[in-house]
Parts: sequence; C-alpha cells; structure tokens
Amino acid sequence: MKGDRKYIILFLLPTVFLMSVFLYYPFFKSLYLSFFRTKGFFDKRFVGWDNYERLFTDKLIGEATLHTLEIMLYVIVFQVGIALVLAVMLDNISKLQSFYRTVFFFPVVISGTAISLLFVLFYNYNFGLLNTIITNLGFERVLWLSETNSLKAVAIPTVWHYVGFYLVLFLTAMSKIPSDYYEAAKLEGISGIQKTFKLTLPLILSDIKVVITLAITGTMKVFEFVWVISRGQNGTEVLGTYMYKKAIVDQNFGYGSTVAIYMVVFGVLLALLANRLLKSEEITY
Amino acid sequence: MKKASLILLSVLFVFSMFLAACGNKPEVKNNTPGNQVPKETDVKEDPPKKDVSLRVFSTFGGTDAARESFQGALDEFTASNPHVKINNDTMSANDDGFRTKVNTDMNTGNEPDLLFYFVGTDAQGFVDAGKVVPLDDLLNEDANWKNGFSPSALENVRQKDGKIYAAPLTGFYEGLFVNKKLFNDNNLELPTNWDNLKKAVETFAAKGIIPLSVPFDQSHYVIEHFILTAAGPEGQAKGLADGIDPNWEKGFAAMKELYDLGAFPKDAATIDLGMASNYYGEGKAAMILEGSWAFGGFTSQEVKDNTTVIPFPVVPGGAGGGNDVIGGFGTGFYLSKATYDNADKKEAAIALLKHMTSPDIIQKIATANGGTPAANVEITGLPQAQVDGFAMAANSASITTPVDSKVSQETFSTLRAGVQQVVTGKKTPAEVIQEAKKIEDENK
Repeated sequence: MKGDRKYIILFLLPTVFLMSVFLYYPFFKSLYLSFFRTKGFFDKRFVGWDNYERLFTDKLIGEATLHTLEIMLYVIVFQVGIALVLAVMLDNISKLQSFYRTVFFFPVVISGTAISLLFVLFYNYNFGLLNTIITNLGFERVLWLSETNSLKAVAIPTVWHYVGFYLVLFLTAMSKIPSDYYEAAKLEGISGIQKTFKLTLPLILSDIKVVITLAITGTMKVFEFVWVISRGQNGTEVLGTYMYKKAIVDQNFGYGSTVAIYMVVFGVLLALLANRLLKSEEITY
Repeated sequence: MKKASLILLSVLFVFSMFLAACGNKPEVKNNTPGNQVPKETDVKEDPPKKDVSLRVFSTFGGTDAARESFQGALDEFTASNPHVKINNDTMSANDDGFRTKVNTDMNTGNEPDLLFYFVGTDAQGFVDAGKVVPLDDLLNEDANWKNGFSPSALENVRQKDGKIYAAPLTGFYEGLFVNKKLFNDNNLELPTNWDNLKKAVETFAAKGIIPLSVPFDQSHYVIEHFILTAAGPEGQAKGLADGIDPNWEKGFAAMKELYDLGAFPKDAATIDLGMASNYYGEGKAAMILEGSWAFGGFTSQEVKDNTTVIPFPVVPGGAGGGNDVIGGFGTGFYLSKATYDNADKKEAAIALLKHMTSPDIIQKIATANGGTPAANVEITGLPQAQVDGFAMAANSASITTPVDSKVSQETFSTLRAGVQQVVTGKKTPAEVIQEAKKIEDENK
C-alpha cells in the first residue's frame, strides 16, 4: 500500500486540478465577490455584509425560492414517480426492453434549451401547436403561460427531460437483485403487484434515496427551461434565473454571487435534510 | 495518509497561486495610461510582411442583416493583404450574453484585436482600464480617413473624457413601426398623436389584431419611448442619478392606460423580443416599437412593403415635443491596446480598422442593415419603409440616445421588471421609479 501512494496522488492530480480550477476557485471567488458592490467588470467596492442584508430583505429571492421548491415537488413526485413506474413495467417485460429504454432515455440526450424552444412553440398563444389544435376543434384559445399556469407549464418539460435518466438508474438497480429472491417468492406464491411492492421496491430503496437526492440537487440548477419558455415572468422566477439576471444581465456580480452562495447553502441543507429523512439501512445481497 | 493530504493541499495551494497570478497579470498593465502619442513607424513595407492573424469580434453574425456584407468587407481586405488572416468572431446581439463575453475578454487579457461594441456607459469600464487606444491621434494623422466620416457621427461616439475610442460604422434610430395597410383597412389615421393611438388600439383590439406588439420582460424599446415622450429629451437624458423627474411616472401611467385598452399581446409577459417582432412581421400585430435593424427580421413581404416609421406620440401630459427620436451612433470599432503595442500586429490592425470604416464599406453595411451611415454617402435602392425611417430621423426635432445608456444596467432592469407590475396594477408608477432610483443610488 505504501508504495502506491505516489501513484494515487499522481492519478488524483488531474481531477484535483480540474476541480480546483472549475469548482473551488469559482466558489471562493464568488464568496469573495459577495462582499463587493460591483459595477460591470472593472469597478468594485467593498460593502461588507450589505449584499447579505439585501438577500434577506429581497422579496424576489423568497418568491424564487418558493418557485424552486414547487418545481422540486413536481420533480420528486412526477419525475421520480414516473421513472419508477416505467422501470417496474420495463423490468417485467422481456421483449423490446432495450428499445423502450433507449426511447425513454432519449430526451436526456437532447439539450434542455432545444426542448425548451420546442415547448415555446407548443405553448405560444398566437400560433402554438396546442392552441392550433384546440382552435381547430372549435374551442377558444388558452393562455398556457398565464400568471397562474406558467410554473406548471414550465415544470412539464423539466420533469419529462430527466425521467429517462432515473429510469435507467432504477433499471440497473433492479437488475442487480439476485434472481433467487424472485424464485423463492414464486415458490411462496407471491406474484404480480405484490412482488413489486414487497420485493422489488424495498430492495432498491437505497437507490430511490440516491435518486431523490439527485432530483433535489438537480432542481436547484433548473435554468434553461424557465429562461427560454417564460423568461422568469408570470411567477416562474427560480433561483437559477434570478442569479443569472442579477449577475449577468445586471452585471451586479456582487449580489449575483451572494445569490449563488445562498443557492449552495440552501441546496446543501436540503440535501442533508433529505438524507436524514430518507435514512434507511443499507441492503446487501 | 496525513502526509498525502498535506501534499495534496500544497498542490492545491500552488495551483491557486498560479491562478491568482493569471488573474492579476492584465491588471498590472493598466498602470500604463492608454493615451500615448502613436509614434510614426520608421520601418515601412521594406521587409517581407510577416503573417499576421487578427481576431475581429462583432455582432455581425447569426441573423444580422449585414452579416454577409461584413464578411465581404473582411474578405476584400484579406484579398489585398494576403499576409493577414482574419478570425471573424461573432455573437448575436439579441441577448445580453455578448456583453458578458466582451467584458470577460477585455478583463482577462483576451482582447480581440478589433472590437465592435457599444460606446458610452457600456464601454466605460474597459476604456477607463486602458484596454483600448484613443483614436484621436490616428484620425488627425490621416485626414483622408477622418474626412470620410460625417462629423456628427464622430461627435456621437466620444466618451465622457472627450476622446474618441470607437470608429463608427452605422448608426440607428428607433421609432413606432406601423403597418399602414392594417390602418387603411380599418379606416384609421396613423397614430401621430395619443388620441389616434388610443382609437387605433381600441379598434384593433376589438378585431382580434394585436395593436402594439410588446414584450414585458425585454421591454427596452417600450420604456425608452414612453419615458422619452413623457419626460422629453432633456428629462430623459438626466437619468436618475440626481433625483427623479416627476414626468417619468407619466410614461409608466400611459403604459397602463394602453394595457387597459388591450393594446399588448395576451402573452406579452412571457414572449421575448424575437417573438414580438415575429407577431408584427407576420402581420398579426399593427404596430411595434423597434429599431432600424428590425427591417430584415420581418418575414412577410406584405408587411415589409406596408411598413412606415413614425415618432412615438407624446403620452398624456408628457414634456416631449412629439417629434423626438431615439437614435445615434451607439457602436463602433475599438482598437485594443495590446494589439497597438504589438509591433507585428499594429500596422495590419490599423489598416483593417481604416478599411472597415472607409466610406465604401460604411455604405455597403448601411445598405444591408438599414442603419444611418457614419459617412457622407448616398444610400440608394432602399425599400420605402427604410427611406421613411431615415426621413423621420432627419426631420426630427431631436435625436437622443436611449434611456438605458443613461442609467446603470441594474436600474434599467428594475424599470423593465416594473412594466408588468404597473400595467397589471400591482405597483404604481411612482413605486417602480422609486425602486429604480434606489438601485441607481446604490450603484453610484
């Protein structure tokens, strides 16, 4: 073991380098910038805790947090839920399994922006696909992205985009379950729905936990769907878009960095909370 | 194991120092002021010319109407100067991303050799940091080049310190684009005053035609015009730095008045500028507030043929004269200091700069993008709508740069965010302007 140490370090180095350049350096730089009032790229003035004071009195950040949490709820319930249902169904068929897996995984490969642009054309009030269909059927046009609907409308592609990813994770987890469990169950006379609820799901519980944690942290980063479909208007502003607006559009990097730090702290807290709530014993086969 | 982590830590530390050093390098350069007198180069042309590669960054890409003319102008230069290779680096001006790109480039020692960018507050940062060279001396040395520009264009691109850093190419104007055919078909008079505008809005709204195609989020042109006519050119030019002009409120109040009449698209809250322009360009909307660059984007030929441009009418109680126009020469070519100091590149870069801003090229670009040329050249063969636009700018009582060049970016975003709040009655105009004023003060 002792002699391996230098190889361990050698092989870790590239990752350490990449992580420090693209993760730790920007993070600490953000922390540093959050104490400044910036004006474009060339002017900055130390303001102490001003940005944090603003953060805690900013009504918009509260709204953005709530919207993010709402999307998170949809993601946990529907994204993880649908992925689980599909995984169970796919696990039970023998023919065409890989075909369906590929089909369901496909949206993950498409960039979020492309999907969003697609949905812009679905939702558009004047010549969107949905409104064209319903006007052809003789109904009145619907304002899909209204003040009350927008967040749900944005959540649909967000949920749809990553279902396939979690599906594949679940399928892999299910394939790891040794087949003698099922054989034993069969001998005991357990089949169908019961098999799923009493055997499959409990055995992949730790994977479900991981997926929920992934879903929670993933939702903190939601950006492109909101940005492209509704531009953060009509009650769809989420933390990602708010930070972008402050930092990049307004070029107030100080406050933008403060929002980013808030996102990191909030995300870590949520993930810890989720881990605590979902605590379960590890299962070894 | 402890030793290993120590080594790791020290490696990390070394890397961060290395990074810090990278970050600071360009700042050291700032200390040398950027206004040295350019020396006459003694050696000229005698030795065979070295191969030079120049990067030109501009927004003449993507769907820009002048993209091909711009590329053509660059090709013309490389054809007569085979030793120069040009990297035509472009980014669309439709979003704010290119500002970030330009500022990051300028801030990290990755300056393009020639940069086509805004003048005024947008450029103040890198001008103050000495990243670009003032062109005054170069202009004075080369009378031929200087006389090619129209004097008013050169005056327009002066920075606050009185120097010219950007060589102008084409200017712009903004106004109310009107679909004449829709007005004729509905027996309406052109919206030259507020009452006509209101009547038109009511008529179109009743017929299911979008009266005024406007996005709430990217409401730049809306705010610019409503505030211009509400506060007048002087009231607008003051910005918010030294107090609030009470007339600004009237601009926002007028937006609400129009909204209540059904003037804006139903989905105004979530569409972007591109979609708003699309509604007008497809003939689904009767009016749009846009700039001279917008002509190329209208898809329907019928709309193109029937478009005219007029000044936005004065909002109720506004201080504007009714014939004020937003426009000017808001962009130009910057020559980076790093290139100017690089003996290999300097000559080629200056030659390219002169070529790109020669009357000939200015004429070609202006013909393509419908902008006002920065040189005294005749632009012929333009569609009627663009001729109308030029006439509007030429006959206007005043031409001022838009209000977003008078306030900080964040202040302007606050005004933009206020549009939907005001028209839907969630906030009063006074509240929104107070909020913007607060941001402006914090930004001083």
